[in-house]
Formats: sequence, C-alpha cells, structure tokens
Amino acid sequence: MSDCGDSDVLWIPYKERPEWSDVTPVPEDDGPNPVVVIAHSEKFEDVYDYFRAVLQSNEKSERVLHLTKDALELNPANYTVWQYRRDLLKHLNTDLRTELDYVEAVIKNSPKNYQVWHHRRVLVEWLQDPTMELELTGDALLQDPKNYHAWQHRQWAIKTFGLYEKELDFVDNLITDDVRNNSAWNQRYFVVNNNLGWSDLICQQEVCYTLEKINFVKNNESAWNYLRGLLIHDKRGLSGNAVITSFCEELYKNKCRSPFLLAFIIDVCEDAIKKKDTNCFHNADRAVELCQALATRYDKIRSKYWNYLCERYKKYQSEQLSNDNKTNDLIIDE
Amino acid sequence: MNNEGNKDMAHRQHVKYFMRFLNILPSSLSSHDTTRVTIAYFSVAGLDVLGSISAISLDLRSRIIEWLYRLQVHPDKETGDMSLCGFQGSSTINIRLDPDNNQFRCGHLAMTYTGLCILLALGDDLSRINRTALIQGVKALQTDEGNFSATLSGCESDMRFVYCAACISYILNDWSGFDIEKATDYVIKSIGYDYGIAQCPELESHGGTTFCALATLALTDQLDKLSEAQIDGLKRWLVYRQIDGFQGRPNKPVDTCYSFWVGASLKILNALQLTNYGSNRRYVYETQDMVVGGFSKWPDTCTDPMHTYLGLSGLSLIGESGLLEIEPRLNITKRAYEHLKCLHEQWVS
Repeated sequence: MSDCGDSDVLWIPYKERPEWSDVTPVPEDDGPNPVVVIAHSEKFEDVYDYFRAVLQSNEKSERVLHLTKDALELNPANYTVWQYRRDLLKHLNTDLRTELDYVEAVIKNSPKNYQVWHHRRVLVEWLQDPTMELELTGDALLQDPKNYHAWQHRQWAIKTFGLYEKELDFVDNLITDDVRNNSAWNQRYFVVNNNLGWSDLICQQEVCYTLEKINFVKNNESAWNYLRGLLIHDKRGLSGNAVITSFCEELYKNKCRSPFLLAFIIDVCEDAIKKKDTNCFHNADRAVELCQALATRYDKIRSKYWNYLCERYKKYQSEQLSNDNKTNDLIIDE
Repeated sequence: MNNEGNKDMAHRQHVKYFMRFLNILPSSLSSHDTTRVTIAYFSVAGLDVLGSISAISLDLRSRIIEWLYRLQVHPDKETGDMSLCGFQGSSTINIRLDPDNNQFRCGHLAMTYTGLCILLALGDDLSRINRTALIQGVKALQTDEGNFSATLSGCESDMRFVYCAACISYILNDWSGFDIEKATDYVIKSIGYDYGIAQCPELESHGGTTFCALATLALTDQLDKLSEAQIDGLKRWLVYRQIDGFQGRPNKPVDTCYSFWVGASLKILNALQLTNYGSNRRYVYETQDMVVGGFSKWPDTCTDPMHTYLGLSGLSLIGESGLLEIEPRLNITKRAYEHLKCLHEQWVS
C-alpha cells in the first residue's frame, strides 16, 4: 500500500531522516491527565509528530504528500489527514490519475472505511470522470455483496453521471448468485425508479420477474418486500393485481405457508377492506385466520405482533357485522 | 467460551471491562485514534447502565471531564467565527494553527454528541460548554439537502449526523442551528419501498439509520409527519428484523448491537412489546464474555466497547433486572436524562 515500508525492518523514523532535519516534531498534547489513552507504536508517534509539525507550518510539498501516505497507512480513518492530502493534491497540481490508483489500493485494504470512499468521491468529482467507478464498486461487491459503502458510492456515481445502462444486468447477476441479497433487490428498485420508470409494462415485467424468484425461494423477505414496493406504483393497489393474487392463492393451495406469503395475503385483505372491495378470498375473516396461523404456528417469534394485527381485523369483523345488521334492519323496516 | 452458562449478567466483569478501556488501550486500536471520545462514551454510558457510575472514582471523573473540555473548540479569537465549534474526538490535531489552515482544528458532530452524553452521565453541569458556539457549529454543518456533515471540511454527510445534530440541539435546548423542516424532509425521503429508513434517499434500509431517523423525528417532535401506512410499515419492517436476536437488514446475520438500534426504534414507536423478549435476551447473552467481560456482535468473537454498551442498553430496553433504564431517543440512562432536565430548568430561569 505504501511505498515506504510495510516491513518495519527497513523503516527509518522521520526524526532520523536527514532530509527532515529542518522540521521540529510536535508531540501530541493530551493534557496533564488523559483518559482512554492509546498506547501507539513508536512509528505512529513519529509519523504523527511530523504531521502535526507540517500542519502547523502549513507546509505544502512533495515530501508532505508522502508523509500523509504514511500517516494514512497507520490510520486510514483520520479525516484530517485525508483533507490535508486533498489540499496538497490541489496545491501541487498532482496527477489525479495516480491518486485514483492509490485510493483504489486503500479501498481494497479498508473497504468499510467512510473516509476512503469520501476521498474517492471527491477525486471523481474533480476529474468529472466516473469511468472506473462501476468496476471499482463491482470488485468491492464481489468481495462483500452487501457492502453498504460500495453501494452508496455506486448509486452516487450512477445517479450523478447517468450510468444506468448495464446496471439491471449487474443486479440480475447478483440476484441470480444469491436471491436473498437484499442490497441487490434495493438496487433493482433504484434502477427502475430512476431510469426505466414504473409504466404499466415495466410494472408487469417486474411482477413476473419477482414472482419467478419467489417461486424459486418462497421464504425470502427481500423478494416479497420488492413485490410490495413495486405495487406502490400500481394504481390498482395491492389487492387489484389478479396475476399476483392468484399466484398467492395457488401457493397457498399448494400448502406453502411461508410467513411472507401469509403476511402478503393479510396486506391484500387490508387493502381490500379499506377499499370496501372485499371478496371471498380477501376479507377480515381471512385476515384474522391468517394472523392466528402466523401467531400460533408459522411465525411464532412474532406471535405478539400477529396477535396485535389480529385485533385490528377483529374490529373490522365486528364493524362489518354491525353494518350487515343495520342493512338487515333497514330491509326489515321496509 | 462456554455459552451455556451465559444466562446471567457478568456484572462485575463488565464493570472491570469498561474501567480498562477508560484507562489505556493497546496500539491495535490506533485506527480509533481520532474517535477516542466515542470509546469514552461507550465506557461511561456502559458503567451508567450497569448502575455503576460510582465505580469511577471522583478523581477519574474529574480527569475525564477535564480531558473532554480540552477538546472543545472555541470561537475564533480574532474573527469570532463559531462555525468550527464543537468537540474534537482526540487531541491528535489539538494544536495551535495559523488562520490559513485553522479549519483543520474543528469539532465533529459525533464527538460533540457523545462528549455531551459523557458529561451528563458524570453529573457535570455543562457550565463550561459554550452553548451558543456549539449550536453555531451545528448550524454550519447542515446541507441544502437537509442532512448534516460530520465536520466543516472533508467529511461525508448522512443520517448519522442528522441524529447527532438533533441530540446536540436537544441537549443544549436550542434548535436555532437545526432546520427541523429540512431535516424531516430528508428523513421522509430516506424511507425505502420496504418502509425501513436508509443512510440517504434510495439506499438500502438499515436498522442503525432507521434508529437515527426515528430518534430525530422523536427529538424534534415530528413523528406525526409519518403517515399511518409509514408507521405500520416501519413497525412491520422492524419486528421482521428479529430472528432470535436482531439483524440490521433483511437476510443479514443477527448482531448484538441491533438489539439496541432496532429495539430503541420500536420503543420510540411504542411497539417494542410486540417482539419476543426471551429470544432477544438469550441471543445477547450468547455474545457475552463471562470471563473478562464485554459483549461481541456474534457468539465467540472479539468483544468491543460499542457492542458491550449496545448489548447492555438493548437488554435494558426489555427490562433486564440490574440495569438502569435507558432514554431511547438520546441513548443515555434515564438517570442522566433526569439530570439534563434539571439543567434545562436552570437555564430557563
């Protein structure tokens, strides 16, 4: 990572380097009675003593650029060093392409560090060149397909520079690798939402895609959440899409009792109740029955939650009952 | 480590564990060099939730307080500028700088927030806090988007720092540096299609950022800006995070810290009682180190102060005996919160 010494045998402290003899190191002043003291190595102290010195003298030179590299190798989370380095890059008119290579190497070693991704983003903004970003984040996601930092950088680059073209293929590959990769499902939503748009045709395509994935693994929250999410854009709502409701009933009939299936049918019932559009499959009775099944059998860890929802549907039941009675009364009155 | 025996709190060991972190740390923690205040926060808050704040001697208490006040960045002596004010996370850059690069010595929102929490837990009266300056420091960090950067130069901005800014404003009882409308808008825009809340709009919903978002809405009294569908959806998304303990995202492994992040989010929505306390408790105890104290994210892995504190505060939320009650919005004990309320009364009169 750094060109001066992963091996401490070859390490020469700054205080022993003749080319630094003009600089007086500035030790850390942690007060008379410090707490949570980190017992830093001698190397750490040496490097940061010299970093403080150049910060104080505001020296902007190649040797300081090099010093920041050493300082960052010892602590890549030091945001002040990164910021000073950026000031140096500007001041020295450094070739930012080599800096891209450098930060790529640091990212490979510390892929979950906020500061390195921020540095990368600033460089890409300066260069206005995002050509490497999909590959860089793709590599990081190969290592860890749920790396939040990598996804954040990727979304930023895609959105800022309009790089949507091949993103759905990328997402599809990840979902094929692991259908439970929730980050990939989220990225699918991101692409459709920003690029393709939720036209009727796209909605329909996405419904088919998702149902196929659910058929493959039924107990997968990510796919069910995506299905519910894309229906936000369907004017007919949760209960109005016959393809989906009959798919669910088919699963149910075939003895599938995935908690996510049952929960989805409950949501369809709720939607139907609210729209006063209940039918023999989707009504308060069914919702009550499913909540009870979840609470007692299929999702016991959330039994309190399902019982709580059950109470809501019982209320609907009794409202429905009293409405029915009122209608009956009216008929009798007539 | 035999986890079968882990069903009880290793109270004494945890106290010792935190006391060690308050003193000296190994060089392997060098990458935490700029965030030492947060380590102090986890340790002090941890001792507080254990009901053991008195384990910190009066001498050590005053050492911690003095150390913290040295990290407060004051207004520029010449110009009176307050945009850099706040707490630094350590003394690494605690040096006198020329006006040219003065901006490198600046407060960091997470350090200001956790620094204030430590002072409250230790019973300090915040009289040496320059409240106006800290609030101006907060104000300088809100972006057009409504979120906050951590520091004035060279840091990312996201939901974490919205939360820190809200806590600072709440603690100092001054919202003049925090545009509530803009921040609320940012939070609402970060609600995902699955109703969880992300670090920024359109990113994946996450248990930690959902906590930051909901606690911000609670502290700013804006929970009523959520629609009924959003509240129902959030409750569902949050209770779904329970496997035995809690996970931070769908289809990710369970992790001790989410017993707090998700637990406190549910508590804020008055829905924690809908989860299974027994399983939650059992999982957290599986990550306890009975011998040297501390909790880790997973069973049989390395403990750290963050998971130890969040494990304990997560247990406190579900009423574990022997622990002090937690104020979920600020992530401090009710005891420290009562002290804050007394200070607020003094400031008003």
